[in-house]
Parts: sequence; C-alpha cells; structure tokens
Amino acid sequence: MTDLFDRYSSLVYSVALRVLNDPGQAEDVMQDIFFQVWRNPDSFVSGRGSLGAWLAVMARNRAIDALRQRRPTDPVDEVVLATEADFSSDIERSRIMDKVRTVLKHLPREQQNSVELAFFQGLSHSEIAARTGDPLGTVKTRIRSALLTLRKAISA
Amino acid sequence: MTHDQHIPQEDLVLYAMQAMQSHELDAVRLHLDSCSECRRALAEVNGDLALVAMGVEQKPLPEGARQRFINRISADASRPLRAANTNVIPIQKAQPQRSAVLWIGWIGWIAAAASFLFAFTLEQKLRKLNDELARQHDVVQQQAAANARAQQVLDILTAPTASRVLLTAGKTKPEPGGRAVYLAETGGLVFQANNLALLAANKTYELWVIPADGRAPIPAGLFRPDSSGSASVVLPPLPKGVPAKAFGVTIEKAEGSTTPTAPIILAGAVPSTGE
Repeated sequence: MTDLFDRYSSLVYSVALRVLNDPGQAEDVMQDIFFQVWRNPDSFVSGRGSLGAWLAVMARNRAIDALRQRRPTDPVDEVVLATEADFSSDIERSRIMDKVRTVLKHLPREQQNSVELAFFQGLSHSEIAARTGDPLGTVKTRIRSALLTLRKAISA
Repeated sequence: MTHDQHIPQEDLVLYAMQAMQSHELDAVRLHLDSCSECRRALAEVNGDLALVAMGVEQKPLPEGARQRFINRISADASRPLRAANTNVIPIQKAQPQRSAVLWIGWIGWIAAAASFLFAFTLEQKLRKLNDELARQHDVVQQQAAANARAQQVLDILTAPTASRVLLTAGKTKPEPGGRAVYLAETGGLVFQANNLALLAANKTYELWVIPADGRAPIPAGLFRPDSSGSASVVLPPLPKGVPAKAFGVTIEKAEGSTTPTAPIILAGAVPSTGE
C-alpha cells in the first residue's frame, strides 16, 4: 500500500490542490482516497482502466465535492475509464503529463476557459453560460471539443 | 433522451464531470444502466478527464503526509482486534457476518473442487506428454541404430585395410569394374571400383557424373587404387538436384582435369528405374 501511496500520492494531492487551492483540504482528499483504497482494495479493478488515471479522476471528483461542501456524489467504484494512455510507467506518465500540458496550453482560449470552469472549478454548464454569457450549447461543445483534441493528441 | 436514443456526447461529459443538473441525472443513469454503448462512451470520456487531471502541475506532499497516512492505516489495521474484545454484540450485523462466514465456507469448498479439477486436468496432460516423450524416445533410438548401421557399412567400404575379394566362376582374369550409388536430390555419391590397373605416379583415375540434361560431365573425385586394384570415392562434393544419365571413369594427369580425357575406362548408364 505504501508503494501505491509513494507512486500516486503526489498526483492525487496535486489534482486536489489544483481544485481546492488549499493544502490542508487537498491533503484530506488525498488521505481519504488512499484510505478508501486501503479499506476496499476491490474498489479498483484493472478492468476499470489505469490505476493512475482512476486515482486522478477520483481526486478531481472528491475535491469538487469538498469544494461544493456536499457528500460524495458517486461511490468510488462507479467510475470506469477507457484510455489508450499507459500511466503505469513513471517515464510514460511523465511524458503524457508534459504532452497534456502542451495540448491544453494550445487550445483556443474559450475552450481553455470552459475546461477550467467545468473541470477545476466544478461549475455546471448553466453556471458557466451565466458567467461567460455564452449559450449553453456553445459551452457544452467547447468542453467536448477540448477533450476530443486532447484524446486525439495523446492517441497519436 | 429515450431508451432508443443515446446520450449526446456533450451530456456524457457533463455527467462525468458531475456538472449535470439534478433533474437530468436520473434519466441519464437509467439509460446508462441499460445501454452498453453509452457506458463505453462514458468510460472514454472519463479517460479524457483523467488526461486533463494528469496535466496538473505536480506538487510535493505536505510534510508528514506520508507518515499520517501510515498512522491512519495502522490504526485501522488494529481496529478489528479492539472490536473483538468488546462484550457488545451488534445484533444488526450478526446476520451479515454469519452469512459471510457461510459464504467463506462455500468459497473453501469451491476452491477445493477447482483445485481437484485443475490437478486432474494437469495429470491427464502430464500423462499425454509422457506418452509422447516415450514415443519420441523410441524414434530416436531407431534412428540412432540406423545411423550406426550406415556408418558401419561406410567404414567397411572405405577402410584401406578391408579385404576386397571378387568371386568368379573360374580362373578367368577379373575385369575392372565399379559400382556407383547416387542420390541426385542430395548430390550424394558412393563409388567403389575393383581390379583397376595400377597407374604411374603422374596419373590418376577420375570419376565423372554425366548429367541427364546434356550438360558437360561433372568431375566427381580423383582416386588411385590400392595394391589389389580397389578404390572408392565416398561423398565427393557435388551439386544437389542434378539427375545423372551415366557415370564414367577416365585416366587423367595427377592433378585431375575439368573435362574427361578419352578413353573411358569404366562407364555405366543409369537405369530408368534407379541404380
């Protein structure tokens, strides 16, 4: 378990910190996620995708829950992932991280903004529309387009 | 959205990001329960979101975070022991625990049955492999015996000290003769001659393969008879796959020749049926 913690704790903590912007709360989220894995190791099975990717999504979702001060919306074992990226190797993970940062950095500003508001600030599409003044459909399309661009870039 | 209508990709993204309005959630969950295609699409969206999360700049853990986690799981690991020491029996949880024990018991039997089946299958496979091994061993022994016999024949034929005796009907002077055994597909040739006349030191006998396709004769080895007039050529270097029409022996200068020089001392045509 400590091996798992050593390998992925920084990733989980960093994602939670990015959302919450509070080191104490981010550590709480990180501790809770690893504690849940410790208590219920079957919550993640390999068929659900890469462990690193799964933990990263869990970190984001739990951090958003903490941000909204609400109970966890989904049990940990409900998130199923499918990605062609290989997160098991440190080198490959590092390469993917660099590539993702580059791709996100080069997205159109509106797409970057929509992903930031939806993914890291946890706003709903109607909240984003209200804040930016854009139509709901446009907000949805921007987020979807950003994710597709990222998927294609990583698969290439 | 209905059961027949899939969830739009944009809505799957919102659902995965927990950004969907609560009144829309139930319909999406209901559809996901019955639609494997949308579940697969949702898994892909989750994979995309994982990528976004992976792009976050990595930060070091707060000091002592690792130790706090180890303390937490250590405390949790000792928790069941403290529960076992209490005299209070949780009634509500008694039933699940009992069924869990029963289930664990069944798991034991299932595991035993699976082990037995596995062992039985393994034994069958092992038996088959042993049979095959024994069969292969017999084949190897038969081949070794055949090889030994062939080697023995070759040793006799090529031994310089072997006695070579020609049996004839009377006291007629034995004529020179030879016997060639040729396998065109491998270019293998064994030739033995008897009653050859002795040659001067600057001369040699040369064996020739006459190809069936009309090509020029192929030199198949130089040889000189022993004192009894016997000689042999065994496995000279010859090209493979050259059917022979005939064989011949000529007398050449000591270093041999690339073309046969008349007269032909011995000649024999290949019968159409083989040797």
